[in-house]
Amino acid sequence: MQRIVVPGEKLSEKQLRIENTITDANGTYSCILGSFDEQTLSLIPLEGLWQPRNGDTIIGIVEEDRGTTVTVNLNAPYKGLIISKFLESEIKAGDIIVSTIKELEKGGTAILIRPKVLGAGKLMSVTPSKIPRIIGKANTMVKQITDGTGTSVVIGLNGLVWLSGGDVDLATAAILKIEEEAHTSGLTERVKELLDNKKMV
Amino acid sequence: MGGGEKPQLIINGKRLDGRMPDELRPIKIEVGTIRNAVGSSYIEWGNNKIIAAVYGPKEALPKHVQDPERAIIKCRYTMAPFSSLEEHGRSGPNRRSTEISKVTKEVFENVIMLEKYPGAEIDIFVEVLQGDGGTRAAGITAASVALAASGIPMTDMPYGVSFGKVGDQVILDLNKIEDNYSDADMPIAISPRTGDILLLQMDGTLTPEDVDLGMHMVRKAGEYITKLQREALKQSYEKISEKYKK
Repeated sequence: MQRIVVPGEKLSEKQLRIENTITDANGTYSCILGSFDEQTLSLIPLEGLWQPRNGDTIIGIVEEDRGTTVTVNLNAPYKGLIISKFLESEIKAGDIIVSTIKELEKGGTAILIRPKVLGAGKLMSVTPSKIPRIIGKANTMVKQITDGTGTSVVIGLNGLVWLSGGDVDLATAAILKIEEEAHTSGLTERVKELLDNKKMV
Repeated sequence: MGGGEKPQLIINGKRLDGRMPDELRPIKIEVGTIRNAVGSSYIEWGNNKIIAAVYGPKEALPKHVQDPERAIIKCRYTMAPFSSLEEHGRSGPNRRSTEISKVTKEVFENVIMLEKYPGAEIDIFVEVLQGDGGTRAAGITAASVALAASGIPMTDMPYGVSFGKVGDQVILDLNKIEDNYSDADMPIAISPRTGDILLLQMDGTLTPEDVDLGMHMVRKAGEYITKLQREALKQSYEKISEKYKK
């Protein structure tokens, strides 16, 4: 049974070790607006920023070419940096790229590797905490959207999604639906319904 | 403040707006008023109408204000030029709003987990659209809902409320007229989880017994305010969950 919890709300009488919680002598308390599962004792944030980790796939917008380095806007309080000698193809300011975080530096800079320029398409931003739901277990959700609309979908963990080809509007609608209803169960079937219904019209 | 003849504020044990001494004004809280903000809320507290919005965390600028260990908070409390019956609704910062911005910032420095975002800044805006006394307390209550809605980790959701004294009667949640002609008023912000006092200001004179009685009223009212804050946050999510419940 899942329930919505807010900062300062008691989760348990016991001192539990769960991410995004605080404990004191009386029990465990939530620190975020999230969805708490009593059985598995997991607290999933409903809102919030992306916390970068090594190896995250991100989508960014190239800001500036400084000769030896290229800076990338990650739609977050962190900056992306690509060292020019590792560039495989030419990149110019304004390009949208998909890339991977190699390592995080102190001061909120992420070193990126293997940048790939995305061509014409649609870029949309969603709440980063909902991204795992859009991807789904073992890519099921995103695969469903790709199969249903013929759109190729690239997802950045920083909350940017890039869509291209096929029925882009339908894919957008499906992603917005997932974002809105991410905390409910049985979402996969409802998204399937949405994709099937729209296709007939 | 005020001047002139002092009106009678308590008649037959009831206050001018018909409240009992320990009664709050009606409160309504909404979440997500400002779409562009990361988190926002709107509060109607009696005749007070206040919008709170939160932006960030983002890179703190100019660079010299950055703290490599933790995030910094910037808070801006303002009253709209049309907000009040009196002159202090001038647009832009003035001495009063600078002070309230500072105390609001210090309330939230105690609850936001700033160490999670080194070098970043979090902006809190509190805009009073209509003021009727107790706006700093209502502003803190609204800002704490906006912060929770933005997903910034915080150890608690503080609330603010004030009490004061008219004659020898201690009263809770003063409105504008009571504020101007009362013998004392004391805005307070409390972290409900630990009971810590995060803001305490006083104007006038109170005896230690008055403060004890007032604090008792405030904590009792706080339980109700906390409940409203939590309901406001949960409402939008639970509405969607409810729709698909088998």
